[in-house]
Amino acid sequence: MTFVEIWQLIIANPVLNVLVALSQFLFGQFGLAIIALTIIVRLISWPLTRRQLKSSKAMQDMQPKLQELQKKYGKNKPKLQQEMMKLYKEAGINPLGCLWPMLIQFPIWIALYQAIMSALATTPGNLLNLAQRLYSWEIVNQAIPLSSQFLGLDLGQTALEAGGLGLLLAIIVGGTMWVQQKMTAAPSVDPRQESTQRMMTLMMPLMFGFFTLMFPSGLALYWAVSNIIGIITQYFVTGGWGYLKFRSPFSQR
Amino acid sequence: MKTVKILLFVTISLFALLLVSCTGTARPTDGWSGATIHDSTIYVGTSDGRLIAIDAATKNRKWEYTINPPTTIYATPIVSGDLVYVGSYNGEIYALSIADGESIWVYPPKGEGYIGAVVGSPVIANGIIYTSSSDGKVYALNTTNGKPKCETDRPLADKLWTSPTVMGDNVYVSTFDGHIYTLSAEKLKLLDWSFKSEAGFASSPVICEDTDTIFLGSFDRHLYAVKIGSNISAWRFPPERPAGNWFWASPIVNEGIVYAGCLDGRLYAIDATTGEEIWSYLTEDENGKPSPIVSSPVLMDDLLIAVNESGTVNVFDLAGALANEGVPLWTASIGADVRSSFCAQEGLVYIRGEDNQLYIVDIDNRQVSQSISLTVEA
Repeated sequence: MTFVEIWQLIIANPVLNVLVALSQFLFGQFGLAIIALTIIVRLISWPLTRRQLKSSKAMQDMQPKLQELQKKYGKNKPKLQQEMMKLYKEAGINPLGCLWPMLIQFPIWIALYQAIMSALATTPGNLLNLAQRLYSWEIVNQAIPLSSQFLGLDLGQTALEAGGLGLLLAIIVGGTMWVQQKMTAAPSVDPRQESTQRMMTLMMPLMFGFFTLMFPSGLALYWAVSNIIGIITQYFVTGGWGYLKFRSPFSQR
Repeated sequence: MKTVKILLFVTISLFALLLVSCTGTARPTDGWSGATIHDSTIYVGTSDGRLIAIDAATKNRKWEYTINPPTTIYATPIVSGDLVYVGSYNGEIYALSIADGESIWVYPPKGEGYIGAVVGSPVIANGIIYTSSSDGKVYALNTTNGKPKCETDRPLADKLWTSPTVMGDNVYVSTFDGHIYTLSAEKLKLLDWSFKSEAGFASSPVICEDTDTIFLGSFDRHLYAVKIGSNISAWRFPPERPAGNWFWASPIVNEGIVYAGCLDGRLYAIDATTGEEIWSYLTEDENGKPSPIVSSPVLMDDLLIAVNESGTVNVFDLAGALANEGVPLWTASIGADVRSSFCAQEGLVYIRGEDNQLYIVDIDNRQVSQSISLTVEA
């Protein structure tokens, strides 16, 4: 079995078939199926998300101690790093923990992209290829072929092709990602790191906004809904807007 | 933390790269235009937007015409009188002279836009060419000058990728949302009778005029028989559990038997009246694995020819001792994938492979006798 066959068997085909089946359940609305799948993915990754949020909250609580360390070892970088790691260890925080929910979603994103392109079957060839990837479930075969229209958007088109609505979607994706990033991004005690962090907080939403313009609107819909769910979850789990309203002492200088 | 952020940045960038490299952003539009034969000339469309005429006797290329701008062709060319017609994926109908390939007319005329992409092959009846389009409409044009005669008032579906079928004064159209519509051939007005199935129809309607019955394949993995005028299907095959995949290719009907190829790789022979299976045969590729049947089977005298996607030609003798056994007389491989419709005449079968070659299979010698390149000539 090749890697592609394994990938299709374990991840891509289940995602595709669930998406098509959901579409049939949800009044033939492919857009609603994408939203439902987003919620399912969020539920599956909930243990990791909770861990990330707790880690984020702990980081937030640790800020005064980190600032003390900054004052104490500001000129001795290796010592500062060492003391910071010690502090993280004592508090049971893994600074890399915030990456896992995102990494775990990568295969889902790729599978979802493939599923959207396959399920919408924008060309006759795509439709014919789809036949070999669908399960024999009655609900799946009754749903084919799917309508790509949702709230005035063609989910198979890129946002760039979709015009004004597509641009709005790109802004929503970028905007919600920026809010989510700001809520979780713990300010750094190092001015240079703080600057890098600020750049990243801006760059990531810009990148995803750009991706939205280049990829099918269906995938952008997934990103937008996923971000919104992330913001809501974060708000209630950490009890507020996190670092969204936080002003870095370095930016005040 | 800086390392973390760099890692994050690299991961996201890799993700984007992976997304593109794994799946590709290009949308494949490789048409599967088939071959048709008329007066010892083979006409075949290519995936890069050319229509080629080949002398059947000498196998030399008589002429070729390139659609401008080049666009792929799914529809199989059709000949009537002195013209050959073909629909292109960018939404144009071309009429070319069979003598030299000169363009006689194009609809819509150049500079006046396009209709939706043409996927199903147009049909001709009573001097009118009927074509379905991806804009969901059916168009009727004068075959001589390409002047529009009429079109449907509204789109019949999101898109129409099947061919219309003309019988008498009516045009029948099957849709992906599970409808069969009847239109008047004269004005393309919707007539009273239509049929609705729960699942979409994958194939074009095929009509048995003797029994006024429409046969067509569905995405729900059944083949349907629908009496014209009835609101319920006469039968569906298989009656209970669905087949292994969609009935994508249009079936053919001969002497009370429906022959239907299925994407599960089987060719089914079904009693046209009762819908009972007479026999089925699982077609395979060269490695013995089932291969989908994408193209409609073709009859030549008493021989039934079915070609599967992997290019295996299966020949059944419908008059011989094995007629009711579902065992092919012989099989042969052309060595290339096949998604196009094909034609047969005077002991030869003409098949366009996905490798842009036209294969000629000699029925008597039971092998590929020749292959002709369809690539651009130097």
